[in-house]
Amino acid sequence: MTSFLLGALWGVVGVVVIAGGAVIGVWWERKVAGRIQLRYGPQQIGPAGSLQMLADVPKLLFKEDVVPSGADKPLFKYAPLVVFAPVAAAIAVIPFAKGWAMFDTAVGVLFFLAVPSIEVVAILVAAWAQRNTYSALGGLRAASQMIAYEVPRALSVAPLVLLAGSLRPTDLVAAWRWWWVPLLALAFLIYLISSIAEMNRGPFDLPEAESELVAGYFADYSGMRWAIFMMAEYGAIITTSLFAAATFLGAGWPFDGALGVVALIVKAAALVTLVMWTKWTLPRIRQDQLLRFCWTVLVPAALVQLAIVGVVLPWL
Amino acid sequence: MTAQSAGLALAIALMLAGAIGAVLLKEVMRVMIALGAFLFGVAAMYAYLGYSFLAIAQVFVYVGGVLVLMVFAVMTARRADGERPAIVSRHDVGSAAVAAGVGAMLFLSLRTAFGDTSVPVSRSASDLASELLGPRLVAFEAAGVFLLAALVAVAVILKGGEER
Amino acid sequence: MIALAVACALFSLGLYAVLSRRDIIGVLVGVEIMLGAGSVLLASLGAASGASSGSVQAIGVMVLLLAAAEAAVGLSLLLSLYRTSGRSRVDELSEVSG
Repeated sequence: MTSFLLGALWGVVGVVVIAGGAVIGVWWERKVAGRIQLRYGPQQIGPAGSLQMLADVPKLLFKEDVVPSGADKPLFKYAPLVVFAPVAAAIAVIPFAKGWAMFDTAVGVLFFLAVPSIEVVAILVAAWAQRNTYSALGGLRAASQMIAYEVPRALSVAPLVLLAGSLRPTDLVAAWRWWWVPLLALAFLIYLISSIAEMNRGPFDLPEAESELVAGYFADYSGMRWAIFMMAEYGAIITTSLFAAATFLGAGWPFDGALGVVALIVKAAALVTLVMWTKWTLPRIRQDQLLRFCWTVLVPAALVQLAIVGVVLPWL
Repeated sequence: MTAQSAGLALAIALMLAGAIGAVLLKEVMRVMIALGAFLFGVAAMYAYLGYSFLAIAQVFVYVGGVLVLMVFAVMTARRADGERPAIVSRHDVGSAAVAAGVGAMLFLSLRTAFGDTSVPVSRSASDLASELLGPRLVAFEAAGVFLLAALVAVAVILKGGEER
Repeated sequence: MIALAVACALFSLGLYAVLSRRDIIGVLVGVEIMLGAGSVLLASLGAASGASSGSVQAIGVMVLLLAAAEAAVGLSLLLSLYRTSGRSRVDELSEVSG
């Protein structure tokens, strides 16, 4: 029974970390977007507007919880939670320090990659539950995009697994050497691009394209339920950045111990900023470009990277 | 109750509840959610038995692939903003009797063939790799060819539908 | 023993769905449940008989591939049928050539 209780405890910790990270992420995104668009972003509340989100959270909590009269009520109400839960679960397998993750399992890498599959179903259910053509279209777009980009994403992580000879994230960290960075540069790029597409963020944010689909699959959501979708989006940015920093960029390298954890978080924060930078500087691409790019560029490139690592492997 | 038996009870409850829902519910999206619960239950069962790779693969392929595909088909074939679409079914004594009879027969024959079961321990993914790329390499390759054939078949079927 | 009973119960539930549902999608759901029951049975028998985990998981992965291909082909048939005739019920589909 203790293992169950420990699991529940880590679950709560994961949700709190992701929710807190999302709050900071929203503030940081507004600052980054402001800089890119030559304005300030939030600056009134707290130093550099850093307490703005503390003011926004109660506002969202106290907003009226609007449920459209035509919606499928139970599905509408609980689908956002199922969108958020897998994102929060993904943080459990991330190796924060050498040999330590909340849930250090032998198939952790697969676990991390399987998370979006649960999210897709929940997004489709949420889109369906609103009984609204815009959200149905947004949901279908999100699903096709997420399923398609799962392929290059999994293929880009495969070279890491090949090099480390294990699916356990902490083994990846232990096996990491500095020359993995130049060797796996292509895989890292593919991982970043397909992760951005996977979490439906710009320039791949067609599912929520506000100029054509209102807000896509969460068009009819408001208040706290809308905020849960936002939290899932920022949580996905945080977990993918942490995973990339831990596996591709060598976790705490060149430090150890507590300083290593700090180094990991700094690397992840840099990646988060990179993801935001991409969103605010690149225009949105079209659906046909999106799918063609995935199948004719990313997947072959990932296979080439896999082949390179496979050829190099016997000499290492 | 130990954590082990609690996990087993949870997996079995999920599988049974999901399957019953998927068979008896009317509204098509609820059927899909019930099917999702069933598939999750199967994954939990694998995890309980110690086949962690199979459990994750189950979530990956079934929930992320098969279930999404089904929901996709439902959403493209039926209007989302119309009346609540129901799955038509004809419940009769005959099919219930056949289903129950087959199930009972299976159980009786399996019980005589295989005796009592015991609880296993953990297994790793590298066993699976050496198995699939070792003695079962031909089957593995055949499965790849089979999947390719299925992919081509899907493309041909959908293309044919468009032309007509 | 519990696993045996559960797998058989699941199998008959799936069979009942195949027999009673009149919509193709419902029939497909039933087939998925039957396949799931089969692989749960295989996995629990493999665990109980002390077979190597590799061979049990290999069989499981094969069933998984089969189910994925089955769903893809079945659903594409459903979609093309729906597009050409607007029907998706098994009892309406009695003619062989479209």
